[in-house]
Amino acid sequence: MSDFLLTQVINYGAPFLGAVVFLGALGVPFPGTFIVIAVGAFCRQGFLPWPTTGMVALTCVVLGDCLSYGMGYYAREPVQRRFGHSDRWHKAQDFFQRWGGMSVFLSRFLITGLAVPVNLISGGGGLTFRRFFFYDLTGEAIWIFGYGGLGYLFGTQWEAVSDFLNNMSGLLLGLVILAIGVWLAFTLWKRNEGSKQQVPDV
Amino acid sequence: MTPKRVRFLVLSLIGIGLIVVALFGVRAYYAWREVRGQPPPQDVLMEAIPDAADAELIRDWMTIPFIARMYNIPSSEFYEALDIPRRGNEIKSLTQLNSQYFPETPGIVETKVKTVVLQHITPEEPPTEPAP
Repeated sequence: MSDFLLTQVINYGAPFLGAVVFLGALGVPFPGTFIVIAVGAFCRQGFLPWPTTGMVALTCVVLGDCLSYGMGYYAREPVQRRFGHSDRWHKAQDFFQRWGGMSVFLSRFLITGLAVPVNLISGGGGLTFRRFFFYDLTGEAIWIFGYGGLGYLFGTQWEAVSDFLNNMSGLLLGLVILAIGVWLAFTLWKRNEGSKQQVPDV
Repeated sequence: MTPKRVRFLVLSLIGIGLIVVALFGVRAYYAWREVRGQPPPQDVLMEAIPDAADAELIRDWMTIPFIARMYNIPSSEFYEALDIPRRGNEIKSLTQLNSQYFPETPGIVETKVKTVVLQHITPEEPPTEPAP
C-alpha cells in the first residue's frame, strides 16, 4: 500500500497527496504520516514545490476532518436519545468540553490513531465547530509542516525518521491506554475504600 | 455495568496498554538507533554534490523519470538498458515494470537501474601514462 501511494505521489504530486490525507481524515487507513514525511523529502530534492504542496495538503486534511466532524454532528441525535439521560454521558460531555480542544490538537500530530474518533465525538456534541476548527487547523498545520519539515530536513534519511515517528506515535497511544486503565483502577480502588469505611463495625 | 465487567475492562485496558507500550517501545528504540546510525542528511542531486549519490537509495516504488531526475541522468539511458519503450512506462514503478516485462526474474529491473546509476557515479580512473 505504502509503495503504491509513494509511486502515485511522485506521479501526480500535490493533488494525490491531498486525496490521501483527505481520505485518511475520514478514517481510510492510509499511512498518512509516512507519506507526509516522504513528501517533505521529495520537496527537499526539488520534485515538488513545498508551499503549494503544503497548502493543498493542509486544506484537504482540514476539509476531511470537518466532514468527519459533520458525521459525528448528524449522528448525535440517536446517540443522545440512547445515552443523553445518563449522568455518565453528561460527565463525559463536560470532560470533553474542558479537554476536547487539547484532544483535537494532540490527536492531529501526536496520537494520530485517535484523530477520527475524536472528530466524531467532537461533532457529536463535545465541541462547538468554531473551537474544533481552530484546534484542528493548528494541529494539522503542525502535522503537515512539522512532519513534512522533518522529511525536508532529513532528506534521504526520511524512511528511518518516519519509522521512528510512527513507532513513537504507537508508543504514546499505548501510554494513553495504560494511563486510562490505571486511572480507572485507582478510581475504583478509591470508591471501594470509601464504601468499606461507610460500613459500620458490628 | 456489573463490577465484574468493570474489573475486566480495567484489566484489559492495562494489559493492552502494556503490550502496546512494550511493542512500540522496542520498535521505537531500534528505529531511533537506526536514525542515529545514518550518515548526515544529503541531497542526492548530482549537480549539488557530485560524489554523494548512492545507488542504494533506489527503491522499487520509484519510477524511471523520478530516478533519472534524482541522479541527473537522461531517462533514455534507463529505458535503453532495460530494452523497453519509454511510452506508457513513465508512471510505472520498478516493481510494475519488473512484473510486466521480466516476470520470471524478480528484482532485475532494480538491479539494471542501479547498474546504470553506478556507471554514472563511479569516478573514472585517470588515464595511465605510457611507460617511457
